[in-house]
Amino acid sequence: MTSHVGALAINTFRETVRDRIFYLVAVFGFVMLVSTAVLSPLTVGAQGKIMSDVGLAAMVVFGLLVVVFVGSNMVHKEIDKGSIVTILAKPIGRREYLLGKFMGLSLTLLAMLFIMGLLFLVMLFLAPGTFSLRFLGAIYLCFWELILINAVVVFFSTCVSSILAAVFTLGVFAMGHLSQSIRDLGQFQGGPLQQKVSEVVYYLIPNLEVFNVRGDVVHGETVAGELILWATVYGAAWTILLLLLAGAIFDRKELR
Amino acid sequence: MHEVTTNRPGGEDSAHSTAVPKEAAESQAAQSLPADRTRPEQALVVLDLTKTFRSGFLRRPDRGVEGVSFSVNKGEVFALIGHNGAGKTTTINCILDLIRPDRGEVTILGQDNHEPESRREIGYLPERPNFFEHLSGRELLNFYGQLLDLPRQERSRRVAAVLQQLGLAGVAERKLRKYSKGMLQRIGLAQALLGDPSILILDEPMSGLDPLGRRQVREMLLELKGKGKTIILSSHIVHDVEMLADSVGILKHGRLIRTQQLAEFHQSCSYEVRLGAGSEQGQDQPEGARQVIVDDVDQLRDLLASCHQRNTPVLAVETRRTGLEELYLQVHNEAGGSP
Repeated sequence: MTSHVGALAINTFRETVRDRIFYLVAVFGFVMLVSTAVLSPLTVGAQGKIMSDVGLAAMVVFGLLVVVFVGSNMVHKEIDKGSIVTILAKPIGRREYLLGKFMGLSLTLLAMLFIMGLLFLVMLFLAPGTFSLRFLGAIYLCFWELILINAVVVFFSTCVSSILAAVFTLGVFAMGHLSQSIRDLGQFQGGPLQQKVSEVVYYLIPNLEVFNVRGDVVHGETVAGELILWATVYGAAWTILLLLLAGAIFDRKELR
Repeated sequence: MHEVTTNRPGGEDSAHSTAVPKEAAESQAAQSLPADRTRPEQALVVLDLTKTFRSGFLRRPDRGVEGVSFSVNKGEVFALIGHNGAGKTTTINCILDLIRPDRGEVTILGQDNHEPESRREIGYLPERPNFFEHLSGRELLNFYGQLLDLPRQERSRRVAAVLQQLGLAGVAERKLRKYSKGMLQRIGLAQALLGDPSILILDEPMSGLDPLGRRQVREMLLELKGKGKTIILSSHIVHDVEMLADSVGILKHGRLIRTQQLAEFHQSCSYEVRLGAGSEQGQDQPEGARQVIVDDVDQLRDLLASCHQRNTPVLAVETRRTGLEELYLQVHNEAGGSP
């Protein structure tokens, strides 16, 4: 099973590389340069904060773009073009296939974040007094956030069209960053119904704020080890749950 | 007995009859259920396969296949023939577990087809093969070799061998997006043969090939048949099927309306008798000649005796073997309805 998943993952990774997805990394570099050259002089004394803020946000945005636009179409494209049938006619289980696709896109995200992270740290290093290893914690959690979003898009791509999968995933991303606030709002200001609804929304949608330590890190705080551990467990649990659901749905899908 | 009148004396341009010997037509009952679905000589058993697709907002039913049952023995070449939409690809997709039937079972070499391992001995070529365009021919086959768990060295050897066999060695490093339709068909066949499977399932294997390519594929399939491979194919090209298949299944509107052993079918024949003017009906048309087609030897004997009695000249007697195409059309017409 592992070798099948590995072969499928490497093939998916290779496809994204050859589809020139990594051009986005060049755009990231450009954004970093612009933020340094244009924004930093406007913010006297806070150049480092601006650079790191823009850099970390850009990593999430570019990662999200890849997950949504590649992930939502990843399985549908193979069904529409028919390449999936020759794979599943081999001794491959459908869940293995889906896991292979997920792992392939995760590998792409890992490679992208590695290159963007490296670029980011090099640019911080070049700006005096900005570089710190605490940014690694933020990049690590950014990776887990994108892995979870990857699982969300794989889940949606097994049950709705690629366009809807992209829209729903973006919706989950937005709601995931707001769910904590919605819950708090419901708890403190709403009636019983609002409280119930906000509670349901909170538990139905992964809380992506768990992974968001970017603001703290930019303002000089270090990410606590317990927080990193908790966020990793939270992200892994949601990812496994979503992949299990996606597998169960994909197992019943008609491939014609 | 069928009578055909030609306009030219001598009757060289004989009109065709679609007579099918009755005993051959009845030799196998359509949709006969296999008695035992785990007999060791059986490579594939399909039992009561039924699938209705639902489409549109109102989930309108669209029949795919209904009650399809057949079995294929090891080393046999079985062809599914039928018009477009008859259910050939649906049947194949159900066999490969790509489509889950509403009812019915499929057993491959004694294993339930829901088990991925049941597909280890299968090589499959889809109707319109389409592969990863970012890969070269060699990379694609290497990828499929990994999915078949072929060890690295064995994989390289097999990939080189099938590329050579399919005449693709020269374009092995070319990206698939630059392959022609015929080349894609060949690379499709290459991936089907890669694991040296004992069962080949080929959906329209000649489609998209030029006449030379078709001939090469046909010869290759005959060679594989000679090696004892079980081949299940679907095709529109009845001529190719007739040359390759040991038995056929004729599908219409999702139902298997006839299964037929071709060896048995080819043993039976009819006779075409060309009679000169001067026969009892020929007197009304002295310039004409007649062709009479009889279905068996007894009828032929009676006819010749009658001609002798009436002094009717018998110009020629020819043996006619009914082609698969004629059988196909006849069975189709007998089943009634539109194509």
